[in-house]
Amino acid sequence: MNGSFSTRMLRTIAAWVVVAIFFFPIYYWTSVAFKHGNDIFNRPPKLFAFTPTFDNFQKVFGISLGSGGITVTPGGGNFYMAPRVWDSIVIATLSTVLAVVIATLAAYALSRMNFRGRHSFVGWVLSTRMMPPVAVAVPMFFIYKNFGLIDTYTGMVLIHALMNLPLAVLLMKSFFDDIPSEIDESAIVDGASRFMIFRRIVLPMAKGGIAATAVLCFIFSWTEFLFALTLTTTSLKTVPVVSSTFVTSIGTAWGNMAALGAASIIPAFIFILLVQKHLVRGLTMGSLKQ
Amino acid sequence: MRVAQARRFVISDHPLPWLLPLVAILLVFTVYPLIYNIWLSFHGFVPRRRALEFVGTENWVQLWNDARFWQSLVITFTYFAIALIFELVLGMAIALLLDSDGFGFGFLRGVLTMTLVIPPAIVGMMYLLMEDPQFGVISYLLQSVGLLNPNNPILATASTALAGVLVAEIWQWTPFMVLIFLAGLRALPPEPYEAAMIDGASSFQIFRRITLPMMSKVIAIAVLVRGIDLFRVFDYVFVMTSGGPGASTYSLSLYAWQQTFSFVKWGYGATLSLVTLVIILVIANLFIRIAKVRW
Amino acid sequence: MKDSIRKAHLASVTDRFVRGQMDRRSFLRAASILGLGAGALGMGLGRRPFYGISQASAQEQELKPSAEITKWLSDVGKPFAGTTLRLATESTPPSNAIATQLKQYFEEATGIKVEIEVLPLEQVLQKLTLDVASSLGTYDLYYIDQSWAASFSQDVFDPREQLKNADLAMPNYNIDDFLKPLVDGIAMYEDRMVGVPYDIPIFIMQYRKDVWDELKLPPPATLDDLLQASAAITDAKGPNMYGTSGQMKSGHYSLECDWTAWLWGHGGSIFGPDGKFTGNDEAGLAAMAYWDKLKATMPPGVDGWTWDGEGQSVGQGVAASMLSWGEFFPFFDDPKASKVSGLMEAMVPPKPAATLRTVEQTGFGEIPGVGHQGGSSLAVSKYSKSPDAAWIFMQWATSADTQALITVLGGGTGPTRTSVYDDPRVLANARVGAGTTRHLPVVRDTIANYMGSEPDLPAWAELSSDMIPVALGKYFAGQSGSAKESLDALKTQVDDLVAKG
Repeated sequence: MNGSFSTRMLRTIAAWVVVAIFFFPIYYWTSVAFKHGNDIFNRPPKLFAFTPTFDNFQKVFGISLGSGGITVTPGGGNFYMAPRVWDSIVIATLSTVLAVVIATLAAYALSRMNFRGRHSFVGWVLSTRMMPPVAVAVPMFFIYKNFGLIDTYTGMVLIHALMNLPLAVLLMKSFFDDIPSEIDESAIVDGASRFMIFRRIVLPMAKGGIAATAVLCFIFSWTEFLFALTLTTTSLKTVPVVSSTFVTSIGTAWGNMAALGAASIIPAFIFILLVQKHLVRGLTMGSLKQ
Repeated sequence: MRVAQARRFVISDHPLPWLLPLVAILLVFTVYPLIYNIWLSFHGFVPRRRALEFVGTENWVQLWNDARFWQSLVITFTYFAIALIFELVLGMAIALLLDSDGFGFGFLRGVLTMTLVIPPAIVGMMYLLMEDPQFGVISYLLQSVGLLNPNNPILATASTALAGVLVAEIWQWTPFMVLIFLAGLRALPPEPYEAAMIDGASSFQIFRRITLPMMSKVIAIAVLVRGIDLFRVFDYVFVMTSGGPGASTYSLSLYAWQQTFSFVKWGYGATLSLVTLVIILVIANLFIRIAKVRW
Repeated sequence: MKDSIRKAHLASVTDRFVRGQMDRRSFLRAASILGLGAGALGMGLGRRPFYGISQASAQEQELKPSAEITKWLSDVGKPFAGTTLRLATESTPPSNAIATQLKQYFEEATGIKVEIEVLPLEQVLQKLTLDVASSLGTYDLYYIDQSWAASFSQDVFDPREQLKNADLAMPNYNIDDFLKPLVDGIAMYEDRMVGVPYDIPIFIMQYRKDVWDELKLPPPATLDDLLQASAAITDAKGPNMYGTSGQMKSGHYSLECDWTAWLWGHGGSIFGPDGKFTGNDEAGLAAMAYWDKLKATMPPGVDGWTWDGEGQSVGQGVAASMLSWGEFFPFFDDPKASKVSGLMEAMVPPKPAATLRTVEQTGFGEIPGVGHQGGSSLAVSKYSKSPDAAWIFMQWATSADTQALITVLGGGTGPTRTSVYDDPRVLANARVGAGTTRHLPVVRDTIANYMGSEPDLPAWAELSSDMIPVALGKYFAGQSGSAKESLDALKTQVDDLVAKG
């Protein structure tokens, strides 16, 4: 909507202010990652005036800033977290792919095919998200133990995909609903099979919706805590789980935790940026139906 | 021959092949835990024998008489309601504000989504530090403008602790709402607006009469998805207050977690989880009825 | 002087100092003659063993397991090469030192792989609970906090039994070298030994010498001294500096720790001999009255802090003292992390205000004492698939040699063996700077004479990390009336839970 120049100006200023307020904690947290303990705990809190240090990143990622520029030395030890970021990326990516594939297939059927109990079926799918995670984690632990899935990518990918399926099915269905079914019908008249229509016609049209679903699945997997804590032991860990490692018996290593937190924004954020164009368009389509 | 038959079935109009992977994974991962938890809720773990023992309805009776359960139910409801209202209203307001093709708005929308990618467990720690009564930047700002009495630390005062946790919650999830609402807004057809403009309607009238009704399905989905998660709040209270001071921020999920893992009361933990599930189911179904959500 | 003689002499000097037969000055003089002088001091200053950072200094090269032990490890460990051992532990200095710096030596010598999962305390409990309840043997070794000893006593081997297997026994392991009070307080449950003492965080009095001197206050030798001094400091310097600090986060185990120190210090106890809660008796109420007065001199917000906030408040000069975990002392001496490096003084906990109860006057093996201990033991799980390999690792991890290395590399954490307190490598770090060990004589003295231990009963995990700190949190938040009303209500809950078993 348009308005006078001053209204537009006012709106722009308001938008920047609001986003700045939301961004402030991220700035502050990132600044903690570059502080020594003494600067993190200072009265009054230091916002800008502190001597930046790379110590935290060195401990957590083996990145050091010397005279010859940035050097990376893979380190060892409890506070070396680079492999954990990689674990998180693998799990989030694969579980997103799995969830989106399964959800897309199911959502297409739910959108296009009429069968008895369809409405309650969708309700049932949604209800699987209502169980408190604690209640799922315990039985899953026993199943995983029996099938050797503890500490494996397979196990984590499965549980995260499961966790995201209800949301993914719901979203994908609404995107498919927005694509007029006349297209399908005319293709059927032309002798195309269901699967062909799905592959060649509907799927390309729903690209944006898939992107949107993928982003949300990725975010939820990237940030999930309780399953990752319960179903892994030593060889595999995700970022949310290891972030609690910094809470030690001799105090919390705030700087290190902030370094991990700040760095962990980057991969997920890149993923969002990559699909952002599709995202807005995708969510757009999903909401069209009235 | 059989292969051909199977092939025909797969490409047919029957929904089963399409739904099979979904049904399979949901059956294994949710129906089994559900049955297991129902079974567990009639059992108690006997530490001495390292075994589960049938206890009949003991857990359910205990639940009914457990003041702590009722209190955490009230707290969870309060948390759920306040957070949902704030996230809805703020989310809608910010979405309307950012729904512009003006210079820099795409960038702003991108920055706003950054809050979503930080794990809630870390967000909890982040706000714990910022709300620290002595060293925290939020406490400092509030104290210096006189809004906060230094003798009443945010997270350790019963009347403000829940608000302290809610700040983290609302900060992280309002952008989620913005994201969904923005998509909805951007998809609205322009014709009704043009008509309203000609009639000389005010911006508020346009919002009330045109935008809101057209956005109703989007809002309903957002409420449903977010509401379910809000009712299971765990990470923030666990990290920031351990449910305290006293039990002022003790949520149902935290209670179930503690009973299950810290005190090995698996039966009671399962009972608490089941009740949580039933409550969410009832509320969600009521909402779906009332809001007339059709899939 | 021959090296062995020098070491022996050094040990005896330290021992005399610890027993109070020698003042600090002459101890330092003697120690410096024996080779702990400027050289050791200089070497120590640059080191930052905190958070397991490793440094390739010259000293580091010497900080390796001794040759005999490495030899024994490779002999006895050979049949188990290729095995993987798992241990879930709290993120404590010993575990971090082993995981980041020491386990490589073990792995090289034996071919046994060790995976250590480092977690916050409550998550360790979750992991152990699942492992025990399922008897699945995910972990070969258990890190057992003293408050869980009763819960897990049946799930681990008694090390005294394991030692009978001569084939696997480490030469000179000497299980009697563990400090006797720690064995009783941490590892014993009924007549079983639940592993061996592995680490020992314990309450000692840590205070700002400079502030005390400036205000001409007597050192906090009694609980009353502490209150008077703390009030005087808060009066003189508040709100920039407060007299003392605390770990009083509602619903958190740390609040229970603080409570017991004051309770015991006023002649009270958690349980009576009949197993009933007695925290609400006269002594218990006196403790609460004292605590209320003391809290008024602490920084506002102390009721939101665990040990982290408490430590930071002292480290940043917001509070001038704390009666709390000695593990924090080396952190205060680290100039990068704290603003009070070199200003802190350690001493034994203040004398109680009333006669301590004896073990017979309490219940469930509770041992009253102002020096609250929060130690842990290390034990081999009965569900382990390779208990022998785990036993080898456990002996190595808790041997005197390894403990000395842990203390030096892990930043001045308190050892659980008598001999380690006298180890020259440990003594060499007794200077101001990160990872100092200059407080260890006080730690040792506190363990021997002033230690308090929580009761052992299966419900204790729930009582200590939930019921008690929630009730106390309610009281301090003003939600449950007077101290008497709050503790009476707590008594009903506790007795109920204990009766249920």
